[in-house]
Amino acid sequence: MKVTIQNLTKQFATVTAVNDFSAVIESGELIALLGPSGCGKSTMLNMISGILPVTEGKIFFDEEDVTDLTPEKRGVGLVFQNYALYPHMTVLENICFPLEIKKVKKEERIARAKEMAKLVHVDMLLDRKPSQLSGGQQQRVAIARALVKQPRILLLDEPLSNLDARLRIEMREEIRRIQQETGVTTVFVTHDQEEAMSISDHIVLMKDGFLQQMARPQELYDEPANCFVADFLGTPPINKTYGVVRNGAIVLDGGCEVKTSLVKDIEEGHEVILSMRAESLIIDEEEQACLGTIDEVYVMGKEILAYVTLGNTKVRAYIPAERHFEKGQTVKIGLRNRGVFVFDKETGERLA
Amino acid sequence: MSDVAKKQKKSHFSWGKFKNKSEWLIYLFPFAIGVIIFTLYPIVNVFMISFKEGFDYISKDFTAWGLGNYLYVLKDPYFIQALKNTFSYVFIVIPVSTCLAVVIATLLNQKIKFSGLFQTAYFLPMVTSTIAIGFAWRFMFNYKSGIINYLLSLIGVNAIDWLQNATYNFTALCVYGIWAILPFTIILLLSGLQNIDPMYYTAAKVDGAGPLRIFFRVTIPLLAPTIFLVIMVNTISCFKVFNELFPLFQGPGIANNLFTVVYYIYYQFRVLIPSRYGYASAAAVMLFLIIFVFTMFQRFVEKKLKN
Repeated sequence: MKVTIQNLTKQFATVTAVNDFSAVIESGELIALLGPSGCGKSTMLNMISGILPVTEGKIFFDEEDVTDLTPEKRGVGLVFQNYALYPHMTVLENICFPLEIKKVKKEERIARAKEMAKLVHVDMLLDRKPSQLSGGQQQRVAIARALVKQPRILLLDEPLSNLDARLRIEMREEIRRIQQETGVTTVFVTHDQEEAMSISDHIVLMKDGFLQQMARPQELYDEPANCFVADFLGTPPINKTYGVVRNGAIVLDGGCEVKTSLVKDIEEGHEVILSMRAESLIIDEEEQACLGTIDEVYVMGKEILAYVTLGNTKVRAYIPAERHFEKGQTVKIGLRNRGVFVFDKETGERLA
Repeated sequence: MSDVAKKQKKSHFSWGKFKNKSEWLIYLFPFAIGVIIFTLYPIVNVFMISFKEGFDYISKDFTAWGLGNYLYVLKDPYFIQALKNTFSYVFIVIPVSTCLAVVIATLLNQKIKFSGLFQTAYFLPMVTSTIAIGFAWRFMFNYKSGIINYLLSLIGVNAIDWLQNATYNFTALCVYGIWAILPFTIILLLSGLQNIDPMYYTAAKVDGAGPLRIFFRVTIPLLAPTIFLVIMVNTISCFKVFNELFPLFQGPGIANNLFTVVYYIYYQFRVLIPSRYGYASAAAVMLFLIIFVFTMFQRFVEKKLKN
């Protein structure tokens, strides 16, 4: 099912949590709502589910306007951050409950619940109470309960935040598998960029209630629309340097001159942010963009992470493990074409 | 602990090693004295007296050890009457008050207008003197000028002599008992309700559950531990029904028809002269056994239901 969101705004008293948000979610896709805490992503999810009324704007499921419909009429399956499994019911009863409300016959709902339990791999645990399950198992049951009524859309609120690191990786792959097997359009909220990058078809990146960019994960990484998007994605965080465009180069604070073709369409004297991913800096390169001083070297095993001073800014760069550099050594630094961006210093908009 | 602190401690408590090891006794002492004098000793004493036949409290003389007191009490028509009344009272007041309290607490827990006002109104009985409230109810139950008979007359029911008629005064007692027990019950249930995470309600709503289904399938099961607690506490206090008799009836009703077990104990002990301590103690021990068995049974049922 396709979801169309038009100019959606949500105000709480004086705070605008979501601001003029428009997006189209294609049918059968897995979408991540990504952003730092307080960016309005959970509010967004609650408006899609119908738990929160919208202040302005419209939401369409396919061609149907669902803006004023209650959650049950929209046909959404919701997985809560804490799963919200009824503690007094067994796993089977929990999964059956949405069908019981829909007055599905007992034999049928048990059959459907068992089928769903099989899909999420909890069919061995049907007689257990939620308190007897691990976090990952509770998560699976919650997903089964949300999917058993065959919702038009599956919504997950921070589905992995209550799991330990290892389970998190396992469960995100599981969410992807379940989503692929059922083909249900799925939206999940997360603040973890790695989580969003790894499993989603498209990422919706939000900040302060505004949509920053909606794109495929690789595109978001390779072609950020603005400085915030570039900052938010990537580990280690992107190197952010400030400078001014002079004579076809960027002069960074502290006097370091970076030669790059990116500035050819930018007017002289423009104040810019030059953002470079750590893997886009090449140390000791013949085709030199600028000069830097090695400040600190950390051995990571498969590579070396070096801190290099450009002007008065420290940047991170990866060096192949077989190379050796001394602290304080001056090196030539080259830039790859990928992973180097120029943003406007005032607005943060992408210039090149 | 540093050496300095150790030294200070030693100089402070100079009673030697014994003192150091049994220091906890000092803290326990004041409370233990109270418990021993006012709780433990009387309990043991009541058990002892209940087995002493022909016991005289002043001279401490008794004729023999035995079950004579119990046999007398069990044959006493007043005690049989008291048992009947007490059990009827418990079996009426507990279910009615618990159901009412669950409904009222659920309503008070909603975000309704004036909920603050309602909360104050319902907790009023708890902070007002029992005697004052009892007299207020006496006025309301009044045959000629009471508001209850007036309201009943509006729906065409003839005036009922609630307090002076042996057919109706038990009903009046139960109504008053239910009303008096409600605030405490509601407070406990409200705190139980507030401990239920609202996400359960949201989850049920998203699945399309109506308010009644949410109430019976989500709220009640999640509230069950608190409901069991109030039933247990209230059952114990209802078995001890006694105070309620005085403001409404100044005693055990018409022709002693409202005898309760605790009133029977009071009657043997205080109303009859000379006092019959043996019979009173035997009745008290029996009441203890009844309550004990009931409480055990409730705990058993609660455990059964949990699994």
